[in-house]
Amino acid sequence: MKAFKNFHPVSLAVYFLSVLTVLMFTKNPVLQAEALVGAALFLGALQGVGTLLSDAPFYLALFAMTALTNPLFSHNGVTPLFFMNGNPVTLEALLYGVSLAATVIGALILCRCFCDVMTSDKILYLAMAASPKFSLVLSMALRFIPMLVKRFHRVERAQRTMGLYSGKSVSDRVKFHVRVFLSMIPWTLENAMETSASMRARGYGKYIKRAEKIKNGKNVKNVKCEKKKRTNFSLFKFTPRDAALIFVCLLSFGISLLGEAFFSVGFEYYPRLGALRLTAWSAAVYAVFGAVTFMPFLIEVKEALVWKYCVSKI
Amino acid sequence: MEILRVENLSFRYPNGEGESDFALSDINFSVSRGEFVVLCGVSGCGKTTLLRLIKKECAPAGEKSGRIFYNGVPLEDTENAGEIGFVGQNPECGIVTDKVWHELAFGLENMGLSTDAIRRRVGETASFFGIQSIFRKKTDELSGGQKQLLNLASVMVMGPKLLLLDEPTSRLDPIAAADFISTLQKLNRETGLSIILSEHRLEEVLPTADRVILMENGKILICDAPRKIGERLAEENSRHPMMRAMPSAVRIYRGLDMRGESPLTVREGRDFLLNNFSGAARSDKDFCGGEAKEIKEAKEKESERTAENKKSRRDFGVLAAEMKNVWFRYGRALPDVLRGVSFDVRRGEAFCILGGNGVGKTTALNVLAGLDRAYRGSVSVNGKRISEYRGASLYRENLAYLPQDTSALFVKDTVIEDLCEIFSMAGVKKSDREALAAELAKKAGLSHLLRRHPYDVSGGEMQRLALCKVLISKPKILLLDEPTIGLDAFSKDELRNIIKGLKSDGVAVLAVTHDAEFAAECADRCALFFDGEILSVAEPSLFFSENNFYTTAANRIARDIWKDAVTCGEVVRRCKEYCGS
Repeated sequence: MKAFKNFHPVSLAVYFLSVLTVLMFTKNPVLQAEALVGAALFLGALQGVGTLLSDAPFYLALFAMTALTNPLFSHNGVTPLFFMNGNPVTLEALLYGVSLAATVIGALILCRCFCDVMTSDKILYLAMAASPKFSLVLSMALRFIPMLVKRFHRVERAQRTMGLYSGKSVSDRVKFHVRVFLSMIPWTLENAMETSASMRARGYGKYIKRAEKIKNGKNVKNVKCEKKKRTNFSLFKFTPRDAALIFVCLLSFGISLLGEAFFSVGFEYYPRLGALRLTAWSAAVYAVFGAVTFMPFLIEVKEALVWKYCVSKI
Repeated sequence: MEILRVENLSFRYPNGEGESDFALSDINFSVSRGEFVVLCGVSGCGKTTLLRLIKKECAPAGEKSGRIFYNGVPLEDTENAGEIGFVGQNPECGIVTDKVWHELAFGLENMGLSTDAIRRRVGETASFFGIQSIFRKKTDELSGGQKQLLNLASVMVMGPKLLLLDEPTSRLDPIAAADFISTLQKLNRETGLSIILSEHRLEEVLPTADRVILMENGKILICDAPRKIGERLAEENSRHPMMRAMPSAVRIYRGLDMRGESPLTVREGRDFLLNNFSGAARSDKDFCGGEAKEIKEAKEKESERTAENKKSRRDFGVLAAEMKNVWFRYGRALPDVLRGVSFDVRRGEAFCILGGNGVGKTTALNVLAGLDRAYRGSVSVNGKRISEYRGASLYRENLAYLPQDTSALFVKDTVIEDLCEIFSMAGVKKSDREALAAELAKKAGLSHLLRRHPYDVSGGEMQRLALCKVLISKPKILLLDEPTIGLDAFSKDELRNIIKGLKSDGVAVLAVTHDAEFAAECADRCALFFDGEILSVAEPSLFFSENNFYTTAANRIARDIWKDAVTCGEVVRRCKEYCGS
């Protein structure tokens, strides 16, 4: 059930960015509903229905809180429902609160999907595009941190058997941890030196000397130092499938924003609720954005069905 | 054709002054293409310095004279870092990145290869080294042996012609070490790779080496074929400390003062004994007259031995620590690691628990040391249940624990600060602490290390310092976790002497180890740990003679003649007895 994860990191990043941006900018209830339901189904497909159900109360509570807070503070709108402390609670403000809540919860759920899908190696790959060196440093940090934690625990346990500062008082406990923590610093430096030796031994940061001798002279000083370009390897392959995903995402992103700005996809709550008009353009936006938001879920479901079908054939 | 030639190489570290401070002096040797050279010597003899000087990217700073040629070209003029591969001692520190595949690709990325080329070479290398199954794993999830294999693979992926390895197996358990060595042999045999390997565990390595270079005090003492090394060493000095590091076959052969090429492997050693001493086995049989009698006699011996055993157990005196039906797991949903462990240790005895990797030996020690808590069963130390000890009272003049990674015991900037801290806990006045620490170090012969940083001392010295430190609290029971890992033969001897001294002082020593040789020589009782429980407890000669696989090399050599001879010294003694009779 991890079909969507297998897309290229760039495609995945484009997907999340495009959906999140549209969700953040739109006030159109149809688009919001599509994004919210699509994201929820996506999360369900990724982490199982059980996780989704167990998390549902949290999301519902947050949803209700956000939706109800807005009308308490915003009194815009022309349709008062009732008065509280002399202030009108309006229908428009209430509905705007619901819309706000849909945006917040939708973005939250999408971010959880993002964390699940974008594993560290995908993030590293994306960072590589920005700066290969930064990406390498990040990778080394990801290697180093678990090692440091393990070392910390090892020293902690060893120190405990020495019977030092093992009283129950707060000062003893603080002292105990501080001295273990301080001992990590020289260890880190020592470790860094050995790691850098290992990097150099494998040719990192090596200058390739290219002697460009002048034809007639024997000027040894005239040696041009040129750093050989380091390449960056990754296991990801960019396939037509990835290109297609990017294309669809950009298409939905483009027409949604254009529709929002010019073609009657925009929606207003204040002072009075706008009307949802169904034009050719808006229908196209609803269809394409809907397709994009439901796609991860559909892909996972399709994959599951294909798998079942294959198994039943065996 | 020679691939490496070292001429008159001398080297002095920046802080060295006089003539005696040369880390290397006047080193001359050459390595031909496809040769497997083993570099050995007691620690501190200059092996690491020599290897690092040959790998110029890792060369230490200092004053160097003499020349090194790689393929006839002076080393300084060689361009490609991938031509000479280097694998260091610590499997942790060699690894740079977080994923196995990235680690393999790292060197190739530095060489500037294209993605397709890298993909192919990485795939091919991973297949050769059999690490496909861990290809997408995180590097910190790997075991020590896998890490070191990854280090080797990520160097080999760059296609070196010469491979330098600096004690690569010193931090590995014997099984992982043997795997690693056999991979090296495969590389040497199947790809014709030239290898220089520095090593202190010579039992497995020597039989496949083409040449052995034995160093002493920065000089090459002997450079010869493995079969001649025993004789040459005896010519130099018959009590040379390196003699103890030789394979058991060589040690037995030399112990009997035989001349000429020595046997190297267990098979050759056994053939040698059978050819010369098989009479010893036959005469025993003749004397008993038939097999029935033999069995009867064996049974008699056995009962005699158990009676003796019981008697000696009573002699060992008071119970120091005891585990009864102890069960332990790391998490509610995780499988049991200890499944009903029961054993006891008495004062004045050394008890060795042997067993493979990850069977729970260390966990048993942790439970006994109060670091982990058993969920069923009872653990008692000095007659008191472990849960009844409050605060640090368990660790005061009672129980001491030497972990596998001894450097974890030291947290200060100098060794003496760490020792003083312990004295301060014992309530010694501030003015007296340093004097006490100095005196302690003097007794142990470690005075020169007191002002050093704990990371700047060698493995053997580190362990002696750590022992010194944990013994300050005058424990009645000492727990040792893999005490011989990373130690050379000389340091092992010292450790054995320390344990002997502790035993005579009435301290109970409980060691968990892989090292059958060590257990055979220093334990009063041995036990096999398997599948979360202790399977058999017996004195070493009985314990090892009953085992077919888990036994010492000396026992494998001699078991056809004397089943219960488990150490080299014992085998030599019996051979001499036979010759005398």
